[in-house]
Amino acid sequence: MADSSLRQRRQPLDTKENAQQPAFSRNDIKKITQLQKQHELNEKNGHTILFLAITALSTFVSFFKIWYPAEVVFDEVHFGKFLGYYLRRTYFFDVHPPLGKLLLAAVGYLIGYDGHYEFNDIGESYEANHVPYVALRTFPAALNVLSVSLVYSIMKQSGYAKSICFLTAALVCFDNALVAQNRLIMLDSVMIFFILITVYSYIRFRKLRYQEFSTSWWLWLFATGAGLGCTLSIKMVGLFVVTAIGISVLVDLWALLDIQRGLTMNHFTRHFYARAVALIVVPAMIYLTCFYIHFAILIESGPGDSFMSSQFKDTLKNSATRMKALDIHYYDNITLSHRDTDVYLHSHSLVYPLRYEDGRISSNGKQVVGIEEPDINSWWQVLPATENEKADDDWASRTIRHDDVIRLKHIGTDWILLTHDVASPILSTNEEFTTVAPGERFNETLFKVVLEDPNNMNTWQTGMTAFKLFHMDTKVALWTHEQHLPEWGLGLQDVNGNKNLNERSNFWVAQEIQGKNATEINLSVKQTVKTMPFLRKYLELQGRIFSHNAGLTKPHPYQSAPISWPVMLRGISYWSKDETREQIYMTGNVVGWYLGLASVAIYSGVFLADLISRHRGIEPIDGPVRQRFVNNGGFFFMLYLLHYLPFFVMGRVLFLHHYLPAAVCSYMLLGAVLQFMFVDGITSPISNLQRNASAKIHRHTSVLDPMTAAPDRTSKIMLAIVLSCQVAMFLFLAPMTYGSPSMTVDQVLQHKIFSGWDLQFAK
Amino acid sequence: MDNLKRRHKSAADELYTSHEAEDHEKLYKQAAPHQLHRTQYQPITYSTNKFIAYAQKNYSFVIPTALTLLAFYTRFRLIGISNFVVWDEAHFGKFGSHYLKNEFYFDVHPPLGKMLVGLSGALAGYNGDFEFTSGATYPEGMHYGFMRVFNALFGALIVPLAYLTARECHMSIKASILAATMVLFDTALLCISRFILLDSMLLFFTCLTFYCLMKFHNERQYPFTEDWWLWLTLTGVSLGCVSSVKWVGLFSVALVGLYTIEDLWEKLGDLTMPKMTYLKHWVSRGVCLIALPICVYILSFAIHFAILYRSGPGDAQMSSLFQANLEGSSLGQNPLELVYGSRLTIKNFGYAGGLLHSHSQTYPEGSKQQQITCYHHKDDNNHWVIKAPRTGDGTTIEEINDEEARFVKDGDVVRLMHLKTGRNLHSHPVAAPVSNSQWEVSGYGDEEVGDLQDNWKIEVVDDLVHRDTETGHIRSLTTLFRIRHVSQNCLLTADNTVLPQWGYKQIEVYCDKRNNDDNPHSWWNIEEHFNEMLPPAPKNAYKTKFFKDFWHLNVAMWTSNNALVPDPDKDDILSSEPLDWPLALVGLRMCGWEDDRIKYYLIGNPIVWWSSFLSVIAFGALTAFYLIRMQRSIYDLSKAQWQQFFFMGKTIALGWALHYIPFFIMGRVTYLHHYFPALYFSIFMMPYLLDQYTLQLRTETRAIIFGSVFALIVLVFVYFSPFVYGMTGPAQQFAGRKWLDSWNMV
Repeated sequence: MADSSLRQRRQPLDTKENAQQPAFSRNDIKKITQLQKQHELNEKNGHTILFLAITALSTFVSFFKIWYPAEVVFDEVHFGKFLGYYLRRTYFFDVHPPLGKLLLAAVGYLIGYDGHYEFNDIGESYEANHVPYVALRTFPAALNVLSVSLVYSIMKQSGYAKSICFLTAALVCFDNALVAQNRLIMLDSVMIFFILITVYSYIRFRKLRYQEFSTSWWLWLFATGAGLGCTLSIKMVGLFVVTAIGISVLVDLWALLDIQRGLTMNHFTRHFYARAVALIVVPAMIYLTCFYIHFAILIESGPGDSFMSSQFKDTLKNSATRMKALDIHYYDNITLSHRDTDVYLHSHSLVYPLRYEDGRISSNGKQVVGIEEPDINSWWQVLPATENEKADDDWASRTIRHDDVIRLKHIGTDWILLTHDVASPILSTNEEFTTVAPGERFNETLFKVVLEDPNNMNTWQTGMTAFKLFHMDTKVALWTHEQHLPEWGLGLQDVNGNKNLNERSNFWVAQEIQGKNATEINLSVKQTVKTMPFLRKYLELQGRIFSHNAGLTKPHPYQSAPISWPVMLRGISYWSKDETREQIYMTGNVVGWYLGLASVAIYSGVFLADLISRHRGIEPIDGPVRQRFVNNGGFFFMLYLLHYLPFFVMGRVLFLHHYLPAAVCSYMLLGAVLQFMFVDGITSPISNLQRNASAKIHRHTSVLDPMTAAPDRTSKIMLAIVLSCQVAMFLFLAPMTYGSPSMTVDQVLQHKIFSGWDLQFAK
Repeated sequence: MDNLKRRHKSAADELYTSHEAEDHEKLYKQAAPHQLHRTQYQPITYSTNKFIAYAQKNYSFVIPTALTLLAFYTRFRLIGISNFVVWDEAHFGKFGSHYLKNEFYFDVHPPLGKMLVGLSGALAGYNGDFEFTSGATYPEGMHYGFMRVFNALFGALIVPLAYLTARECHMSIKASILAATMVLFDTALLCISRFILLDSMLLFFTCLTFYCLMKFHNERQYPFTEDWWLWLTLTGVSLGCVSSVKWVGLFSVALVGLYTIEDLWEKLGDLTMPKMTYLKHWVSRGVCLIALPICVYILSFAIHFAILYRSGPGDAQMSSLFQANLEGSSLGQNPLELVYGSRLTIKNFGYAGGLLHSHSQTYPEGSKQQQITCYHHKDDNNHWVIKAPRTGDGTTIEEINDEEARFVKDGDVVRLMHLKTGRNLHSHPVAAPVSNSQWEVSGYGDEEVGDLQDNWKIEVVDDLVHRDTETGHIRSLTTLFRIRHVSQNCLLTADNTVLPQWGYKQIEVYCDKRNNDDNPHSWWNIEEHFNEMLPPAPKNAYKTKFFKDFWHLNVAMWTSNNALVPDPDKDDILSSEPLDWPLALVGLRMCGWEDDRIKYYLIGNPIVWWSSFLSVIAFGALTAFYLIRMQRSIYDLSKAQWQQFFFMGKTIALGWALHYIPFFIMGRVTYLHHYFPALYFSIFMMPYLLDQYTLQLRTETRAIIFGSVFALIVLVFVYFSPFVYGMTGPAQQFAGRKWLDSWNMV
């Protein structure tokens, strides 16, 4: 940077003679105050006009044809479904914390939508299904407008020139990805809004650092905490902004701890606790509150049941599995299904071939297999562990508990289930299951019922309680896996004895008891909905969220690698309509995203060059400019990196829209870098000063110290060029952002800026 | 620091010879200019016993020698007692055998360690004929004991290295001996060194790197002297060696790299240093720490290729031409030009490409038709027959006259039939299973059943040898071609994406609709070619380039390494999670657990492991403590003391973290022994901190503290020694030693 020119600029203001004179005449002070007030008023008016302008602009861009397409678009499938569940109070499971969906549901509730529609497939018509989708989309779109306004305010509060504030907000406003994403019924708009609220509040808080413990200081501190809590309650990605604020606070505290700062330890401790309460306790409370509301609303059993423990399911009304649950007694005939592969335990009079293809030998006993559709041969009778075959009333009245030993009789053939140390047909390491005639080999027919969660439910029931069946004699578990027997086994699924008793796939569920209609019986009994302490509910759900999120590794056709995001090698096809050849294809604004990436590179370069020069004893950047560049620009830089880099180590499936928060941060960094490059100086100081009596005099003397950013004509022209490029690119990509109008093949090919963009209707 | 030592003299410190004292004075002057109040050296008194006096005078020789002898004893004791193949000896012993038989094999690790195993076999007079089946008994007359001793030698040498390194870290003699003792009596480090494995070499070179680095660090005041160059070069060489044993050696590279960056950064701030000198510093590091290790790494591969000149089990991982140059490979017998009806195997030309493969298993999703994969193992499922294409109505074009061979030409449309199952190579607009933005390729139909989707077009890209491509004939081995699906216009591609368990972790094959003609992963060549009607080709003398082979092999290693991911459906009893390691929460059964077998259980000496880990944590806490106090202007340590404390602790902790933390983000299966290099670094922390905080104490108190730590480590080691030297009889009798429930030794 041309530091010499900076210094020159400062000189007219920097009247050293005045500064050396301790006292001013009353008139001078008055004049200066007047001038300053006038200047502030001008600034304020200018900002107000620009702020309103950008808000209006953003409103138009975000709400333009918001009613189109009147069809389900991309992830509206998920979030529309979830909001419906809230409105119907039906329990569901999702990997994201509840706040974002709760807010969407609240909008739905306010406009009187009953949540009847299932949002089954992309491309289904809203009008045909009577969904007030425009009103629902209004909410994310409105938040998008507010996000743009917030970006303006953040830049303004950070003390950037008006033109930079406007430019940055306008760049965000004209980003195709943000517009495409944030006017649909999805969570990203809500999340970006709360991230920006947090950043804004924290900057306001930092600006009050000379007025510690004042009312507004507390206010903005708690606002930051609230923002953190809300962001975190929308998506786990909120952890990134938590980290960013956490690092800033630590740096801040470290400076406060410095003895040269002159704070006593008590004073420092107050600072510490204020931040701990506001930035840890408050967000945690908000996060938990969201879950509390989540559980309070979702009281009916629904599709989320299957993810939860049986104890949890008991707390839901009309639980389907609850309705199917019946205690199993001895001599009941039941069907058993394998939990993971959904096949029923089955036997028939076909036998294992004496010699397999590979030369191994079997017991030649009757086959025990897994079958997908239960039939007459899938019924098994539960016998007590007695040699007496006859039904005994004493036993018949007893239920079966955890760790009880039983035998299973196959109803179709009247033979008893058995396993022994003979290699199973497919896996030679596992044991073969077969049946024997009653009365034979008694010891080898004994099995122990081991329930999954005996502390909670100690009785073996149908429907709910998963169990393992351990063989008493050889210590194997009844097991099956997705491999089918050859033709001699009718292609049914292989069942065998697993030597690893602890495997998760060992669990089976008893489905039905012959002759008893579970639903009828349960309906006649009065239903009691159990309660469960909130924290236990929460911990269980949180655990499932983490494990499920980590398990989201199934590839998706539109997934992409983080490395390809900033350069936009590939977008996501959100929606398309064959009849009209229209489509929504989510990509960023090529100009803005590449400039954002460039700003990251320029920032790193300048920062590194400055670091090296200072290490060599040269200070190339003027003090206040450098301070702003390092502190404020550095904050944006860190926000960007924290919202982008962690994705590289994430194992789950990733999509381009995960980059959107980082993209917004990169725009703010771009603003900071553009100011550094094109605008001379920086408006400084912008932080409110101390308010005590001795500081009052300071205020007047310091009037002469500050510097004002002064964009000149060339810089304004440069900024205008950047903005017009962004707008031009936005308009060029607009047909793919708004889903209309339709494009001819030539046009589609024309819009295919990168070869990786797999646009629809390209031929 | 050093002056502190002098102020609180201990018996061991009195051993300073006058020469040593001078050295220390030099250091002392540089270390803390503001602390230059001189302390008087007391005259050194030697013991009246002449042996003790000898030891005192020559302690710098006697102590390492004694430690080495002890290490030999502990490492070599009862080394041949188990006469069967223990644990991964099954792999590394076998790889060693391949070197002795000069047969090309493939493994995920770089070759240096395995070549050393091969060397040990050669020295033991072993001819390489033993199969090294897991758990098999060694044949009569095979000196497996010698091979183990050779390995254990590396494991033993880390004990004196630990002592010397600790001395270079300016620890007292007591603390240095303690560090060496912890290495000496750690059950895990001991146990892993005693078998034919790579870990003892890996550990040795890691330790050597650390030692050289500390030596180099202590030379920093005398740049560009002979010693300085020597240790810088040796650091580079040992970095090369450690990376050539296993890729985890790269963590050591990271440690040295970070050290160097910090060093150069500090030098950058030295405004008095001439720019040429600074440049010289850069160049010297670039040469010694980057170029030199790379040379060592490449050299190990050059030797690897030079030794393995015969065809062997690893052929298929390499390019077809490379294989053709291996002695005993059948590829030289191929008929030259391809005709319809030829039986052939088709090799992907991309780095680490496999052979086009199919088997009777079907895709679990998508079309659910027969799987097509790329696979490196050579078997009959790789055989394809080239046939005439189908016409519009689904029948094939006129049958070819068997009498007359019709050549396949550039641009011909053909059908490829899988010989074993009779299915045709087929593609259709169904998303591929993993790369699901591309089309799936499957095996479909048979000789009669089929449609136009079975037709593929051969497009010649280039010929590696025969430049006269006018005839347009396809030549085995040398002609590169694309296989284009006619009706969908996409290219048959396999780019090293690994299929899940249902595809047996083989490589996914898909039809690439991006049509990138220059992607070598969509180039193929004929590898084997059988046709009785044609004569074998004349010998071609085309040599592959070493660097191409080198890179090809490294890509193949990387791909296989990535395929070593844990199977979510299977609980692997041997693997463990990184979180379980530092506190020795898990052990590893190294062999079968039958009662009549000698059993080895790999578990750390709990005292060593726990104290090491806790001291690393303690160092973090202490650093935070001092930093906060310093921020409040309370100086517990002088500036020089603090710098020394922080530098040493930081280096040790960094060494530990760099060798440990990366395992958390690694996708592959992790085992207990992956922690050992990290353990080695953390072992230094305990003696180091103990040294620091007992300096103020009286000599006797210090002796008691150190003595009890020594005693504890030795006693616990003796107690657990059956795990290391082999447990005979049922494991149940050692149930008392099960200190933690998570140890699965019983």
